Amino acid sequence: MTEVVATNQTILVVGGGISGMTAALEAAECGKDVVLLEKNPALGGRVSQLYRYFPKLCHPTCGLEINLRRLKGNRRIRVMTMSEVTSISGQKGDYTVSVKIKPRFVNENCTACGECAKAVTSEVPDAFNYNLGKVKAAYLPSAMAYPQRYVLDPSVIGTPEADQAKAACKYGAIDLEMKEETVQIKAGAVIWATGWQPYDAAKIQPYGYDRFANVITSVEFERLADPHGPTGGKILRPGDGKEAKNVAFIQCAGSRDENHLRHCSRICCMASLKQTNYVTEKFGDDGKSTIYYIDIRAIDRFEDFYQKVQANPNVKFVKSKVAKIVQDEKSGNPILHGVDTEGYNRYATEHDLVVLAVGMAPSVPAGMIPAEIVADSSGFIQQDEANGGFFGAGCATNALDVNRAVQSATASALRAIQVVNQVARAEA
Amino acid sequence: MADQKIAAYICQGCGLGDRLDTKALAQIAKTDGKAHLIREHEFLCNADGVATIQKDIDEGVTHVAIAACSRRAKTEAFYFPTVALSRANLREGVIWIRPEGDEHQETTQEMAQDYVRMACAEAKRLIQPGGNPTAARNTTVLVVGGGVTGMTAALEASKTGYQVVLVEKSSQLGGWAGKLWKRAAYKEPFADPADTGVAEMAAAIEADKNIKVYLNATVAKTDGAPGRFNIDIATESGSVTQEHVGSIVQASGFNLYDIAKLPELGGGVNQNVVDQAGLEALAKAANGGAIKRADGGAVNSVVFVQCAGQRDDSGKHLSYCSGTCCLTSIKQAMYFKDQNPDIDTIVIFDDLRTPGNGEDFYRSAQKKGVTFTKGKVAGVAASGNGLKVTFNDLILGDENATIDADLVVLATGQVPNSGVNIDEKVEEGVDVKPISILNLNYRQGPDVPQLKQGFVDSHFICFPYESRRTGIYPAGPVRRPMDIAQAMEDATGATMKAVQAIENAAVGRAAHPRSGDLSFPSFRAEGCTQCKRCTVECPFGAIDEDEKRFPVFNEARCRRCGTCMGACPVRVISFENYSIDSVGSQIKAVDIPDEFQEKPRILILACENDAYPALDMAGMNHNEYSAYVRIIPVRCLGSVNLIWVTDALNSGYDGVMMMGCKHGDNYQCHFVKGSEIASIRLSKVDETLKSLNLETERVQNYEVAITDIERVPQLINDYAAKIQEIGLSPFKF
Amino acid sequence: MSDLNTQAKEKYHNNFLKEVAANVEEGDWVKMCMQCGVCSGSCPFGPHWAHPPQEIFMMIRAGKREEVLTSDSMWMCTSCYNCIVRCPRKLPITHIMHGLANYAHRLGLAPKNQPTRQFAKLFWNNIVKTGRVNELKLSLGLYFKDGLASGVKTGMAMSSVGLGLVKAKRLNPMEILGGHGCKDIKGIQAMVKKAQEIEAKRKGFTAA
Repeated sequence: MTEVVATNQTILVVGGGISGMTAALEAAECGKDVVLLEKNPALGGRVSQLYRYFPKLCHPTCGLEINLRRLKGNRRIRVMTMSEVTSISGQKGDYTVSVKIKPRFVNENCTACGECAKAVTSEVPDAFNYNLGKVKAAYLPSAMAYPQRYVLDPSVIGTPEADQAKAACKYGAIDLEMKEETVQIKAGAVIWATGWQPYDAAKIQPYGYDRFANVITSVEFERLADPHGPTGGKILRPGDGKEAKNVAFIQCAGSRDENHLRHCSRICCMASLKQTNYVTEKFGDDGKSTIYYIDIRAIDRFEDFYQKVQANPNVKFVKSKVAKIVQDEKSGNPILHGVDTEGYNRYATEHDLVVLAVGMAPSVPAGMIPAEIVADSSGFIQQDEANGGFFGAGCATNALDVNRAVQSATASALRAIQVVNQVARAEA
Repeated sequence: MADQKIAAYICQGCGLGDRLDTKALAQIAKTDGKAHLIREHEFLCNADGVATIQKDIDEGVTHVAIAACSRRAKTEAFYFPTVALSRANLREGVIWIRPEGDEHQETTQEMAQDYVRMACAEAKRLIQPGGNPTAARNTTVLVVGGGVTGMTAALEASKTGYQVVLVEKSSQLGGWAGKLWKRAAYKEPFADPADTGVAEMAAAIEADKNIKVYLNATVAKTDGAPGRFNIDIATESGSVTQEHVGSIVQASGFNLYDIAKLPELGGGVNQNVVDQAGLEALAKAANGGAIKRADGGAVNSVVFVQCAGQRDDSGKHLSYCSGTCCLTSIKQAMYFKDQNPDIDTIVIFDDLRTPGNGEDFYRSAQKKGVTFTKGKVAGVAASGNGLKVTFNDLILGDENATIDADLVVLATGQVPNSGVNIDEKVEEGVDVKPISILNLNYRQGPDVPQLKQGFVDSHFICFPYESRRTGIYPAGPVRRPMDIAQAMEDATGATMKAVQAIENAAVGRAAHPRSGDLSFPSFRAEGCTQCKRCTVECPFGAIDEDEKRFPVFNEARCRRCGTCMGACPVRVISFENYSIDSVGSQIKAVDIPDEFQEKPRILILACENDAYPALDMAGMNHNEYSAYVRIIPVRCLGSVNLIWVTDALNSGYDGVMMMGCKHGDNYQCHFVKGSEIASIRLSKVDETLKSLNLETERVQNYEVAITDIERVPQLINDYAAKIQEIGLSPFKF
Repeated sequence: MSDLNTQAKEKYHNNFLKEVAANVEEGDWVKMCMQCGVCSGSCPFGPHWAHPPQEIFMMIRAGKREEVLTSDSMWMCTSCYNCIVRCPRKLPITHIMHGLANYAHRLGLAPKNQPTRQFAKLFWNNIVKTGRVNELKLSLGLYFKDGLASGVKTGMAMSSVGLGLVKAKRLNPMEILGGHGCKDIKGIQAMVKKAQEIEAKRKGFTAA
């Protein structure tokens, strides 16, 4: 049974992406006790699945490394992975939270030596790579995974493979008897850093994400460009593994659309501008990008980045919301149909690959959080007195880029500290 | 040193026992490493292994060298905060990057043995820091600026239980927000302009006993460091008061881009062409009634010109987008529509930028009848009693489209009020010198360093608050153009950091990125040549100079990157847990084969933040690289003292590879300037090499990113081949 | 009719957007367009009309009254509804197109020889006469709209289709004599008249 020492002066942070980690670290580095929950087997969240950040084109794992080092050196943070909140009772300054912990089937003895992975043969979809590839059923979620500990996929539990994995581990790290459990945690304040999820692109029917292999989402494109990704960093399209040198980016795939997401997801313009760099990086002058857009929202200093991309002769901009995509049966190439609204040129343009700049939806829409919480029409948590000791952080509160998510998370840490400081003063 | 007791632990798990002769490693730890206690363990990170180490510590071991996996792995198990600890990376750094097989056995074993020697040598030279007992705790936050950002910071700090001194240069609180009629919608349903709330905030501040407000006041001098800042506050009357504070939130805000620089748009030429602040003033004067022009004329049509003097690639105006003006123009168009729907309001934009729920605000304006036209305005000229706006209609392709208007509003951008750009050489008498905000009495200059557009410098993606002056947290539009909602959020975050800085300073703990590090630079005055390199190069301006030009270290400002240590030509600067000696001794601990063995040795000094993890992950991927390299992680390439390079070459290494982060405009160095400074220093090494009759290839500098798991092994192997090609060093003994 | 046009112009001070909002079916939606162009790209009629919907909306906002109302573009709409289902702002584009066409027609500005308009007129006159569509007269009316010669030519070309329909008892040649009506022709005509009155009143055309 997992034991968690927590009091009503503890801050509970739900979600271990960059926002949750930031909130947890900032509070802990101020001397507060923090429990950090993550539903996946490793921390890092969605940014750890990005290849580069805009506008610096630096790597998210670089900041993650720093944050992990801060975390490893700080004993005030208790990290719980594969954990989800199921219910909350109490009020500001005194919450009791039920947390469901899924079995990992691997305990803290794991040295990440990888022998268990060698022992199993079956494979499961690779969630870290948006299921673009497969991993062994005993796997380390990613190279940067923290805790650096393998996971045994539940699908092999009860099969001889699980026993083989267990036999391969010399360190007694594989525990096939692990069961799902629920623990109660006390907390004075709760920070919801539950993050975002890409909008389900299949719902945008005319774009055929569910029908055409060479229509992918922007988050999947990140994995194609990443050396840790399923193609080892080569931009190969899923349909036939051909190099995708002529890439179309469709903006507002789901966003700014009352049939899908009402809000503008803010980051997608910059994400596509950034991704045109990947195409140039991999193919030089042979790599061509076309961005189909309504408004390019390269907000504040990011405008410089936009200007740089505009200066790249291999990147074209078409002011148009693409009407539909059809697939050329022979080549497998997607053909985009629409009208360039600047000059009314009707186009039917063939590309090797289409990247849908999908919008951001809250991972856990406010209605799904097991507590009363004030939200906007898109399900993002709002900052509101009525929320008591609950605070939103990062993309749980709005469609934000990393910079703004970190700001929001840092602010949420202070708000949570204010609550537990009040508790401390009352108890002193 | 007398009661130093060193223990070395050799792990046999994860294949180390199979691949390496751990007995020989233990022997090395004894003979070469001079460890007092040596243990082999079949699984060192398990409960038994950890208990064994703990027991030894309890029984007097003071220094621990663990020869097992990478220092990045198993950190929870190998957590012994009371002793000095080093790690020999035998797993990711040796057996995982070397192929199996007898022919490789010798070189692989040699590699492991050297890492054991190095770990022992390092452990011996480390002192587990206990913090600075003279650290100060002052729980007051100074907030510079009384706009919405500053007021938020003050109220939040007070709410957290800290005291606040707020300095505002004007005669009242509120800043720009105080001059607004309304603010843009900030909550559901994001449909209508909302009250600014400035008056309520100002009243709350007035009523708060924890907040002391200085109006008509500026910061005349800032002295000291986090936990012990002394602030001279000058008031208009000429009096100067001193306040003592623990940390600072710089909320000095912005100025609007000068409309007079846009005469082609009627700015400064026609009084019926106003900027957004001008329109707010008209709206305030109207007080909910019909907004009139400055000449008293009625407004039946108004045109908003977006991006006026912004997003300019000619170099004449602002290159950036202020990000907030679209929402502001929408809001201002609503002022008219809400009062009288018959007034024509047209917003001419290139890209309409209403992120997030701003889209709802945009739709609401359309519902109210505001017209949005995609175009580029070429000119605004007087026409009869009104104005004529000429623009290129980008949708209808009409290059000379015109609209008549009674009033034109230019959406000019935000220019940060960030004080003096200390990195810029200002020529005397050429331009008006900007006025300093903080008047820091720091060796490197009076304000916080800036990015090229005048916004305050920080790692603005992952660590936006980390300015280059510890304990000073810029917030609001001084950091990035922003609106009220964002500024309030930003102020709250900055207050978090300010409060944290106070707590860090109180125990002598380092701030980001070496959070929690209790070491601090120590300095030996005898030997110092007052060369000033450390004071000039410190990326965080932590070092001042005394009247004799000796460096004065301000620990609480220091981030422990070691750039000063790297800079010092006479090596009088060190940290308890990182020193010239702790690295130098590792370099010297490596066994250099004589020239006849034809086994080169290549030293790699790798940045621990990016290059070292990349090497580690290359190991996890089992990407092979040369067995001739010996890798030492360094805090930052900036901390690399050239003596290490010279020592390495003198003791017979055949080459030195330095791996650091990208520098320049998009720097990735976590200490901002470290990698850049290192490359400048190295550029001067070529001369030295030539004078020693050595090939310049023997010292190479590489920019390495954390994702370079394929590239780094390749770089190493190419370099090893290069060394084979130019031959072994003539300096072998 | 041109009086109506002048009146409308004066009433809205050349603010065409307001005029459309007030007089065109679903015209109030025009202001909500954000110019993404998905409607234009989705239209199956593609390049065959001068101004696709989004451009029409922008022209309305820009006050290009004559150009819009005399254009034949909105007459080209086939009511496929592709634009409506894809519009991110949920504009009822198809309805707006028909509304604009109708408005242009009322003002007498619609292009005279626009075939859709001609067909619509033929169809309307045909159906209000008896309350039923007389298909024979409708098709003949269409064939002969451009005069006798071209009517004969088209009629000859279509003769085999016509004969086929007759054989299959889908067309009665006797309908040429007037054909059969619905039970209460007078009632239908009264209903139509009333409906036209109501609509005209709602749209402010009572003066005419």
